Amino acid sequence: MSLASPAEASRLAAVRRYAALETTSGAAFDRVAALAARIFRAPFATVTIVGDDTVRVIAAHGLPPRRGLVESLCAAAVRHGGPYVVEDAWLHPEAAGDPAVHGEPGIRFHAAALITTPDGEALGSVNVMDVRPREAGDEELACLRDLAGLVMDELEVRLATQRTVEVERELRAGAERLARTLQRTLLPPALPRVPGLRAAAAYHPVSADEVGGDFYDLFPLDGDRWGFFLGDVCGKGADAAALTSLVRYTLRAAAVYDADPHAVLANLDAVLQQEHAGGEAPVPYCTAVFGVLQPDGDGFGVTLATGGHPPALAVRANGAVEPIHPAGGQLIGILRNPRFAQVSARLNAGDALLLYTDGLTEARTPSGSMLDEDGLTAYLAAAGPTSADDLLTTVHDLITALGAGVSDDTAVLALSVPPATRTPSSGSLGAA
Amino acid sequence: MQHDNGLTVSLQSPTSGPRLLVVAGDLDHHTTPRLRAVLEEVEFGPGADLVVDLSGLTFCDSTGIATLVAAHQRAADAGAALLLAGLDSDIARVFQIMGLDQLLSLYDSPEEAVRALSE
Repeated sequence: MSLASPAEASRLAAVRRYAALETTSGAAFDRVAALAARIFRAPFATVTIVGDDTVRVIAAHGLPPRRGLVESLCAAAVRHGGPYVVEDAWLHPEAAGDPAVHGEPGIRFHAAALITTPDGEALGSVNVMDVRPREAGDEELACLRDLAGLVMDELEVRLATQRTVEVERELRAGAERLARTLQRTLLPPALPRVPGLRAAAAYHPVSADEVGGDFYDLFPLDGDRWGFFLGDVCGKGADAAALTSLVRYTLRAAAVYDADPHAVLANLDAVLQQEHAGGEAPVPYCTAVFGVLQPDGDGFGVTLATGGHPPALAVRANGAVEPIHPAGGQLIGILRNPRFAQVSARLNAGDALLLYTDGLTEARTPSGSMLDEDGLTAYLAAAGPTSADDLLTTVHDLITALGAGVSDDTAVLALSVPPATRTPSSGSLGAA
Repeated sequence: MQHDNGLTVSLQSPTSGPRLLVVAGDLDHHTTPRLRAVLEEVEFGPGADLVVDLSGLTFCDSTGIATLVAAHQRAADAGAALLLAGLDSDIARVFQIMGLDQLLSLYDSPEEAVRALSE
């Protein structure tokens, strides 16, 4: 029956539209079949959908009738295009050769009411069968039509629900794609190559769907100086992403204007305070570390300012771990007259510096306590002298080991000065 | 991590001494609006102080912190004191890293905070 008439093709299109919905739950249709049998005081009732060359029985009451009968009588009902009654199949040409009529269970009576879509396509029928010939009363047929109407209503509700779910899923997927794309624009795709320095960064999201507000960057300043920062904007989602963008560009612009780390954070604070002047509570704010690297001999001078951010940790060439942390830096963008503290230090050959967001230090250890700066320091100390890349691996291992104890995104920026190359044995003066 | 401890906020106004706001449970994005609503109803003025008992606080995210900071600033503007008491050591540590220990007055217990106000 593949060469269907245009009318049949249109009907089959309607059948396909509802196809997945019949199978989701048969309970409602089973009740319809049981009710139909009861109304007619008949042993068998079915709900059938007539497809291209198959008739699907989506609900049955009593013994499931043989397939041959279903095909001939139900398909005939759909073709007939209205309520369809066979009072005695023995006298009916459509059922003449049907084994279910002449053999077991010996069907003689058949009545069907069409399941019709709102746009008039017949999907199938609700059918009642009996083993004795009989007539169908008007009242019984009216009930059968109502039951067929109920089946259609149920299919319509399921179709509407499915469409709503699909639309919602599409909208959600679109929003998540946008958020992830936006987030990628907030993180530098690759860190620049800084002569004499190794740099590496990573982002460890807790959820693939939700955008966090962690950010970092490393970029050239005037002369041979380099600026870097890492921070965390309060909140999650699109608002946090927008704020992260503002923070990132403000930090870079402020550093061009005046690279003094304390001044950069004060500038960011002023911008954020203006941003939400008179706005809704709670106001957005952030924590950040901002630093400037100045090449100095075989290492770098580092000047760091912090605003409410956990301490940067230096892993020295001898494996000692120490915070490079000016005391007293406060949250950025929310306080009146906030303090931003600044400190200077050196990164010598073999030293590494780790900046991280509080997703790491506020993670819970298996004992239930917060990892904190002390726990992180102990973990880094156990790993020994390191490089930027190895430091990222160490942090990655730690985050993996903490597992579900990590409840917030973590951004990590690692900087290191390669160890001094030793001239083997001879003791001669190597090229500087 | 799921923070599903809920949040309870109750304001007590004793006949003498400062008002006491008892906050217990998780203070997060979902629950903070309830605390903010209660705090916004509190009228501050010279001598009309508030002690916030946070000893039952199990979690505090950035929105909770912003709300406490905003209330503190409103109290300060009105010439009143807003004192925080009974912070869990982990949350106190987070406040310290954010530099909030320099701004907010933190006390071990509500009793200690009340005593500090009467001195």
